Amino acid sequence: MKLLSKFHRVNVVATIIVLLISGVCYYFFIKHVLIEQLDKDLAIEEREAKDFVTESNALPDAYAYKDEEEEFIQVANGNVVRKFSSVQLFNKSVNESIDYRQLEFPLTVAGRNYKVVVRKSQEETEDLIQLILTITLMMVLLLLISLFLINRFILSKLWKPFNNTLSQLKQFNVSGKNKLLLEKSDINEFTELNQAVSIMTNRVSQDFNEIKNFTENASHEIQTPLAIIKSKLELLSQSENLKEEQMNTIQSIFEAGNRLSKLNQSLILLTKIDNQQFVQNEKIDFSKIVFKHIENFEELIAAKHITTVVNIAPGVKLNINEDLAEILISNLITNAIRHNLDKGSIDINLSSHFFIISNTGTQPDRDPGELFERFRKDKVSSESLGLGLSIVKKICEQYQFSINYVYSGNRHITTVGFNN
Amino acid sequence: MKILIIEDEKELSDSIATYLKSENYICEFAGSYDKAIEKIELYEYDCILLDISIPGGSGLDVLQELKSNNKLDGVLIISAKNSLEDKVKGLNLGADDYLPKPFHLSELSARIAAIIRRKNFDGNNFLRFHNIQIDTRAKSVSLKNKTLDLTRKEYELLLYFVSNKKRVISKNAIAEHLWGDGMEGSNDFIYTHIKNLRKKLIDAGDVDYIKSIYGMGYKFSD
Repeated sequence: MKLLSKFHRVNVVATIIVLLISGVCYYFFIKHVLIEQLDKDLAIEEREAKDFVTESNALPDAYAYKDEEEEFIQVANGNVVRKFSSVQLFNKSVNESIDYRQLEFPLTVAGRNYKVVVRKSQEETEDLIQLILTITLMMVLLLLISLFLINRFILSKLWKPFNNTLSQLKQFNVSGKNKLLLEKSDINEFTELNQAVSIMTNRVSQDFNEIKNFTENASHEIQTPLAIIKSKLELLSQSENLKEEQMNTIQSIFEAGNRLSKLNQSLILLTKIDNQQFVQNEKIDFSKIVFKHIENFEELIAAKHITTVVNIAPGVKLNINEDLAEILISNLITNAIRHNLDKGSIDINLSSHFFIISNTGTQPDRDPGELFERFRKDKVSSESLGLGLSIVKKICEQYQFSINYVYSGNRHITTVGFNN
Repeated sequence: MKILIIEDEKELSDSIATYLKSENYICEFAGSYDKAIEKIELYEYDCILLDISIPGGSGLDVLQELKSNNKLDGVLIISAKNSLEDKVKGLNLGADDYLPKPFHLSELSARIAAIIRRKNFDGNNFLRFHNIQIDTRAKSVSLKNKTLDLTRKEYELLLYFVSNKKRVISKNAIAEHLWGDGMEGSNDFIYTHIKNLRKKLIDAGDVDYIKSIYGMGYKFSD
């Protein structure tokens, strides 16, 4: 849920609750005040009646209007208790029941005891309360509308710098050269955020470049002496009259040098993938690459008398760096050839969701999960560096492809699932 | 054929020159940026071997200078910086090929030969070795005017041999040339290819030029 809508929701609920509670409080408070006012009026009527009795020693006239009436009821004894109460009586003039506030009090006129009842209609009070409730409700509505408008137009404008920073961060590419274009904001929090973000991304880019330079330099420094060793050996091997023993020695050094340089290249490749230095992602025709590599290895496959079953959906497009795609396929196919049996078979399947390669072979002597670790290799082919599968895994991780290996029915089955 | 080697590692440029000398190439050296600029301005070369990191500047700048002077020299970048960017940049700037270090001298020699062949505008796309004639444009081989039916790999193998005739070529170099880096380790499968090619040449009535050099590799010579 968006922060804004969450904030908005909490705000609206709180506003409604507060307004309802205050409405209820209003209602009771005002009702109380108004009834007190009525009671005061009734007390005045009482005093007037009593004054009249004192002055003229006679009962005043009883009266009954729509909203006020007074009546005198003769009672036998004088134990009438003075009290205020609310009653509902039928009013003949308007033909309906009306709430009244009434005061009963005793009155003695010329030795006779009377109970006097003075009533005043509460209708005005109720009207007032209704009005107050209506106003409260309208306020709630008005507040909701204004909150909505604020959220819609002002808050989203306020959050714009934040959203801008966010979208810049999403596009941030550590190996990219363009810096973040952060919008200036007059809000302290966003300015601070932008500062922190640019400090962080600058440091990340700097670290990245240092590592990248280190990798390149390391590669350079190691490859150059290797290049010299290899070239000298190649020259040495051109010499006439070499003894068999010497030729073997040269060949051994040569192979060792080759392995060293391949090891170096593979490690550099792994580091480069780790550093996400392969960025030129374009939609490439994966089917074509698979075809190309099958064709490329066709003689090796024939040399081992391996039969192939190839089932490739044409035109499978993937968003992947072309070099990495080539390495991925080439490593998997080479593995399927290397760890195969004589007269074995290789099945290759490509659909828009999966690349599945399976080959006949002996049971691996290791846990399948370990096969993807660096320098893990099967005992049968000691010539391999043991980096091929970890490179495959790295490439899959880079593109969020799933990779799965099982050994079943005397076959090694490797499945790469594309994340489309 | 004149070759300019722009490379600061003297031992390496010496090895390259020694290897290329027997192919009748004349090699000159430039160990720094200034020296390289001086050389390319004064002379013309059939092919320039260009290292990217040289003292005093970048090999890519030398390439730019060369191209802005409309020189037609072929350029082969030999770089230890096996970096994609440099490769893409170099090829975009007009280099003909890119070979990462460390390389096999036989591979280098084959690449140079290919560049020079491509640069030759006189339509001479035929390579000859005794009775064998290779048409590099049509990618076909004929022997005594009879076309040989070779697979693509066999053709590439033969071309590689002819580009490195009278040399010992390691099995490793052959494997890398034919299949790239992918097939590390056992090179025994090359044997099958050599055997097939040899058989086709002999069947077509030629001498067996391919000699096995024990423990090291093969040599194409008469």
